[in-house]
Amino acid sequence: MATNGTKSAKGSGGAALAVAGASLVALSLLSLCVGEAGLTLGQLWDGLLRRDEFAAMVLWQIRLPRLLVAALVGAALSAAGVVMQAFFRNSLASPGLLGVSSGGTAGAVVAIAIGATATSLWVLPLASIVGASLATLAVVGLARRGASTERLLLAGVALNALLGAVTTYVLSAYERNTQILFWLLGGVEDRTWEHVAMAAPVLLVGALLWPLGRSMDLLALGPREAQSLGVDVRALRRKLLVFSTILSALATAVAGTVGFVGLIVPHILRLMVGPEHRRLVPLSLAAGAAFVVGCDIAGRLVGDLRLGIVTSLIGGPFFLWMLRKTP
Amino acid sequence: MDAAQDALTLHAIDVPGRLSLASLALPRGALVGLVGPNGAGKSTLLQVAAGLLPPGPAGKVRWEGEDLARVPMLDRGRRAAWVPQEAHFEFGFSVRSVVAQGRFAHGDDEAGVDAALARLELAALAERPVNELSGGEKHRVLLARALATEAPLQLWDEPLAALDPRHGLDVLMLARERTRAGGTVVFSLHDLRVAHCLDYVVVLQGGRLHAAGAPDAVLTPALLLEVFRVRAETAPGLTLFLP
Repeated sequence: MATNGTKSAKGSGGAALAVAGASLVALSLLSLCVGEAGLTLGQLWDGLLRRDEFAAMVLWQIRLPRLLVAALVGAALSAAGVVMQAFFRNSLASPGLLGVSSGGTAGAVVAIAIGATATSLWVLPLASIVGASLATLAVVGLARRGASTERLLLAGVALNALLGAVTTYVLSAYERNTQILFWLLGGVEDRTWEHVAMAAPVLLVGALLWPLGRSMDLLALGPREAQSLGVDVRALRRKLLVFSTILSALATAVAGTVGFVGLIVPHILRLMVGPEHRRLVPLSLAAGAAFVVGCDIAGRLVGDLRLGIVTSLIGGPFFLWMLRKTP
Repeated sequence: MDAAQDALTLHAIDVPGRLSLASLALPRGALVGLVGPNGAGKSTLLQVAAGLLPPGPAGKVRWEGEDLARVPMLDRGRRAAWVPQEAHFEFGFSVRSVVAQGRFAHGDDEAGVDAALARLELAALAERPVNELSGGEKHRVLLARALATEAPLQLWDEPLAALDPRHGLDVLMLARERTRAGGTVVFSLHDLRVAHCLDYVVVLQGGRLHAAGAPDAVLTPALLLEVFRVRAETAPGLTLFLP
């Protein structure tokens, strides 16, 4: 027996999902057309159907993989942000600020440095997951006694510094200096279908998160309260940690450290449709994808600004604004 | 007392540094007050009773005679409701959606949500974000959520502390309505005059059970002096009633 209020809120959730989906489609088309060789919609169509050889080459070898990687990275990071914020009951928690992305990066570069990534396509994302998991465990351990904002952010500062040092050292020691930029300031240029395949499990994890939305609402208001209302809190928290770690790690494995997406997108969505996770989870996937695709286009239009720089230029001031509002 | 008649029994509870309790049985249908000086273990006892803290290696908690360890998580949400002492809300969920969380274990059917909102005079606040309410209002939201669970065992941690006199009296009335309907309400409180009007009183001191039973038998001047270091006297004073 939903009241009018609940119905209209649900309606706005559906409307927001439609808007996010439409934006994603529009930005995706734009992303495919914009670049060094601009394509018209007609050329785009011919290229997709391989009727225009040049356009087909640009699309199938460069722009489609780049678009899909950007979309998957955005979906992963913003859903990971939503999950971490519910887990820590803190709207500043996100993969970048807590050092989980840095953990994924460190894991990935170590795997590259020791040559393990040559053995299989899946070594890189797995190494990234291992690194991100260690960072997640460290944050959870440090923030165990009530995740106050100070404690969380300080844990993140320490982890980001430590793991950033590991990444920089490994890359400089192994004479892959050109790669440092990619891993520390993420980007989506020169992505291939292999990277799309590596990031594709994001969709599976997103689908697994969907039914947990209601219990995430209860958890976000307190683990003890949630347990008293019938939520198996221990099992739920374990799942949420695993999912958010995998999402952050997969994004990092294919695009390096792209900051602030998991902070900005969930926050704006909460302002638009409220904090209920049954709406936030699907919406964060679509809106996160649209946001990162948009940032990638903006970077290309301004003149090859890396994706990580664009998200940081937007996210840095946004974060400071949020910090001012936090009591 | 027959075990099946007890709503809640606790045995060999051992929470290091906080609560150590050999045995306690609370009768079904009773309005039970939990009193004791600060740090006596009242909140700990309520959390152990709610299954939120482990009862210790040999500890046993029973609801209506059934071992709590065997009660599945979801069933627990239907059989007992716990109201924390502090109301902390990080996100701006609407009052209504927080109260509706009480129906999680019932498949989110929303039954009784409107009634619970009305009973705690929250209907007008139903669409307000819960993190913008006053402390007392937040507490009433938590009580409404507990009420919405329709759980027979209600465990409330200092429900009166944040409330003004009128809402405080109303919460006592609410507790009495629950027990008249066959439920059991256990709550911690500091006001010994209120405790004196309840069906059953449990006195804790320094993490141990000091006494339990009918208020007249338990809250004697000697005990009050020993445990609370106050002198008790029956004297005419200000007595409050709901109009």
